[in-house]
Amino acid sequence: MGNFIPLAPDPKSHIKTLTRIGYTLPSAVSDILDNSIAAGSSNIALLSLPGEGEQSFSIIDDGEGMCPKELLQNMRIGCKDPSDERGEEDLGRFGSGMKTASFSQARRLTVVSKSRNNRLSAASWDLDEIESRNEWCVQVLDDSEIAELPNLELGDHTPHGTQIIWEKLTFIPQTSHSESAEKEMARALAELETHIGLHFHRFMTGKNKCHISINNAPVAPIDPFLTGHPGYQEGRIAKNRCKGGHIVIQTHVLPHVKKISRNELAKLGGAEGISQNQGIYIYRNKRLIHAGGWLGLNTSNQLHALARVQVDVPSSLDHEWKTDVKKASLQLPSRVQRDLKKYLADPVKKSRKVYSYRGKQDTANEYWRINEREDTGIITYEISSENTSLQKILEETPQHTRSGLVQYLADLAAHLPLNHIYEKMSSSPREIDQTASPQDMSSLLKKIFAKL
Amino acid sequence: MDLETLDACVKIAACICGKDGILAEAELDEMFTIIKSNNNEYERKAFEESIDAFFDSNKQIEDYLALVRDPADKKFILHVAEASASIDGLDPLENIALQKAMAFWGEH
Repeated sequence: MGNFIPLAPDPKSHIKTLTRIGYTLPSAVSDILDNSIAAGSSNIALLSLPGEGEQSFSIIDDGEGMCPKELLQNMRIGCKDPSDERGEEDLGRFGSGMKTASFSQARRLTVVSKSRNNRLSAASWDLDEIESRNEWCVQVLDDSEIAELPNLELGDHTPHGTQIIWEKLTFIPQTSHSESAEKEMARALAELETHIGLHFHRFMTGKNKCHISINNAPVAPIDPFLTGHPGYQEGRIAKNRCKGGHIVIQTHVLPHVKKISRNELAKLGGAEGISQNQGIYIYRNKRLIHAGGWLGLNTSNQLHALARVQVDVPSSLDHEWKTDVKKASLQLPSRVQRDLKKYLADPVKKSRKVYSYRGKQDTANEYWRINEREDTGIITYEISSENTSLQKILEETPQHTRSGLVQYLADLAAHLPLNHIYEKMSSSPREIDQTASPQDMSSLLKKIFAKL
Repeated sequence: MDLETLDACVKIAACICGKDGILAEAELDEMFTIIKSNNNEYERKAFEESIDAFFDSNKQIEDYLALVRDPADKKFILHVAEASASIDGLDPLENIALQKAMAFWGEH
C-alpha cells in the first residue's frame, strides 16, 4: 500500500469554488435566518440603508448569541458534522451555511456577537485577504475595529444577539450597464421580502412568533394555502412515524382566484403564480424548502391550479432526503413518494371541482351555447339561436340582409379569441370585465343612426 | 407474553412495516390494537418506547428474530406484522421482509 500524504486544497482556489455554490440572495439570507431562528431570536432585522459610503448588508438578531470562543469556532467552515443529530428546532445542517452563503454574496463577512454575561466580540473573513495570503486566516477584531463597523447595531448595552455584516457586496452588479446600486438593492430587497414572507411564514405567526423586518419595515407572513380565507378547503392529514419525529402530509385546496382579494393574490404572484405554484410544499422543521411543483408525481394543469400538498419533515431525515448544503433541494424517499401519490388525488379532484363549478355557472347564459359532442369530444362555443331577442331581430330584418347577419354571427363565434381568453383567464382573471365594454357598441350605433 | 417478547414483537413488526424507515400512523395503530387485544396489560407508553428504541437502534431484523423462541409467540408476531403491514396495502418491500422473517423461523 502506498503512502498517504496530506494534500489540502489551495485556499486561493478553494475560496473561489466556495463563492460559486449557487446561492441566490434569498437562499443565502434564508440560511442565515435559519441560524437566527435556531438561536431563539424573537426579532430579526435586515438592514441595508443607503449611505454615502460603500453599501453593506446586515442581519441582526436578538438570539442567544455567542461568547468569543464559540464565535471563533463557528467561523470555521464545516464547523459541524452533517451526520450529527440536530435538535428539533435546529435548522442548520453542515455548519457551513453562514460562511458559504455569505461568500456567495459578499467578499467580506463579519460576525459580531454577544451572549449573556459575555463581552461583545467580532471576527471577519475577507476573501481578498485569503487570496493575497493564500491562507485560511480569520481576523479577530479589537474594540476599536468593532466600533468602526458599518451599521453596527450591537453594543455592550445589548443583552445578547448576533449581527452578520456583509461588505464588498457581489450580489449587486458593479458594471457600467447596471442600474444604480440603490435601485438594484431595492429590487433585491423586494424579492427578498417575498421569499422570507413565504419560506418563514410559520415562524412569523403564533405564540412565539419571530418578527422579521427589512430596513425597519415588517415582513408579512405569506400563507401559501390561504388557510384562514373563506373558500379554503382543508383536506386529509396523514402522520408517518420516522426516526426523530413524524412526516406529516396534509392536503389543501385554495379558494378560486375570483374569490381572493387583490392584495392576497398579488402576494401569491397573481393568478399566474397560483397556477405555476400548484403542487407539493415541503417544510423542514417548519421552514419551507420546496415551494410548489409536483416532483414528477402529477402533471401541472390549469385545473389543478388550486391543489396544494403540505409535507412536514424533521431534520433527522436529511440523510434519507439528501438535503444539500443550501437546504434548497432534496429527493423524496420512495416510500414518501408512494404515500404522496395516494394523497394527491384528493386536492386535485377538489381543485377540478372548483373550476368545473365555475365553468357550469358560466354556461347559464342565454347568448352562448356550449356544444360538447360526445362522439368526437369536440367542444364548440356557438351563439345561441334560441335567444328571443336575436329571433325577433332576424324576423324584423329584411330577407336580403338576414343571411348576411346570420353569417356574421357564425363568423363571430368562429373567431372567438380563445387562446387570448385562456391566457388571460390563467394570468389575470380579475382584470377581465365584460360589463365594461358596451361603450364601443353604443358609439357604433350612434354612427349608424347619424347616417340614416 | 412477557415484556421482553412484546418489545421484540413490536420491533419485528416495525422492521417489516418500516422497511424504508417510515411507519404509517395507521400501521402503528393496528400493531398496538392487535397486541393489546392479546395482552390486556400492555400500555401505549411501553409500545411508544419500543418504537422509539427501534428508530434509535442499528439492529437488523435477524437480531430481534433471534430473541423469540416460543412457536406460539412466533406465530402471533407474524400475524401482527402481516396485519399491520397490510393495513395500507402490503408493499413488495414489506412482503420481502415478512418472507425473510418466516424463512428465519422456518415457518414456510
